[in-house]
This record gives sequence, C-alpha cells and structure tokens, in this order.
Amino acid sequence: MSDFRPQLGQQTPIPQEQKKQEPVLKGTFAAVLLLGAFIAISWIGVFLIFMTRN
Amino acid sequence: MHLHRLEKAWLTIGIAMLAIFLIVLGTMAFSMGVTPPSAHHHTVDPANVAKTAPFDNPGIKQVSDKHYEAVMVAYAFGYTPQTLEVPAGSTVDFIVTSSDVVHGFAIVGTNVNMMIEPGEVSHISHKFDKPGTYLLLCNEYCGTGHEYMKSTIVVK
Repeated sequence: MSDFRPQLGQQTPIPQEQKKQEPVLKGTFAAVLLLGAFIAISWIGVFLIFMTRN
Repeated sequence: MHLHRLEKAWLTIGIAMLAIFLIVLGTMAFSMGVTPPSAHHHTVDPANVAKTAPFDNPGIKQVSDKHYEAVMVAYAFGYTPQTLEVPAGSTVDFIVTSSDVVHGFAIVGTNVNMMIEPGEVSHISHKFDKPGTYLLLCNEYCGTGHEYMKSTIVVK
C-alpha cells in the first residue's frame, strides 16, 4: 500500500530576504496617532474648561 | 530587543504625553494647592451634626476683606442656609457636611463640585468674580426629593 501522507521537506524553501523583512506598520502607526490625538484633544479640552471656570 | 522605527516613534509620543500630563498635575497639586475636597481629613459625628460646632450655627461669615467662610449642612432635601449673599470678587471657603445620606454639592458654571458624605467634612474654595445668581444643587441621587434639592448664591 502506498503512503499518501504529504512529504515533508518537499516544499520550496522560503528565501532568506523575505524572512528578514520588517512588518509594515504604517496603518498601525496612523491608528495609534489618531487615538493619541483623541486623548490629547479631550484632555486639553477638559483642562481649558477647568481653567476658564476657575 | 528589536523595535520597529514606527514603534519607537509612538512609544516616544505616548511617554511624552504621560510626562506632560503628570507635570501639569504635579505643578497644580504641589505649587498651586489644587487638592480634592477630602484632602484635609476632618470628621464629624453624623448623628450630632446640629450640636457640633461649627455646624450648630450654619451660615456665612466674613473672615477678612472679600474673604468669606460658609458653613453649610446638606440634608434630604436641601441645604442650610438656603441663600448666601456675597459681594462680587469674594472668595468663599465652603465647609460642608451631611446630616443624613450622601449628597452632591455643585455650583453650576464653576469648578465647585464635590461629594458630601455623612461623617466627613468637605472643603472647597471659589472666587466669585461675576455678579449674578448661582445655582447650587445636589448631583448625587439622595432620595425622592433629590431634584428639589438646591440653594442659591447671590453675588452682587
């Protein structure tokens, strides 16, 4: 009876260049900046209300 | 540890924001005396508020020029005294306690907003620059008459 299991080691090896590539984080960076801007604007807004009411 | 260039950027921004917030908070707390209403730990027997000084005689008295001290008692559903009157430009030190349950003490349009707990004495100061009638109300649900709980401060 023949063996139907896939043969390990027959896959094409991943090239070294592709392994070393850094993940693309541009979208994540934009999302982090948007969240940061939201926090900063909220904080400044509340602080200004506090200062003008004093 | 390897960090991506953009990860370094957002970490720097985040840490800088935290540092700015803490510096502002620290400056206001330590050099400008901005403290919460419970900062001075001052207690009173909640069952004997009406017999304990200064709450046996609530009201407003002048401490110095344009500086007043208001001793007030919050109860379900009102404040003693009902009306306060001060000249414009006066600073009022509020000393407040509750004779029953937890109440709020908020003066609309100002930074005066504190919780009044039975057994605790809350302190807050405010300078009333603009003449007008200020609404003082309860913002902690205290019972069926909560929405009628108010007092007025007249600044002339």
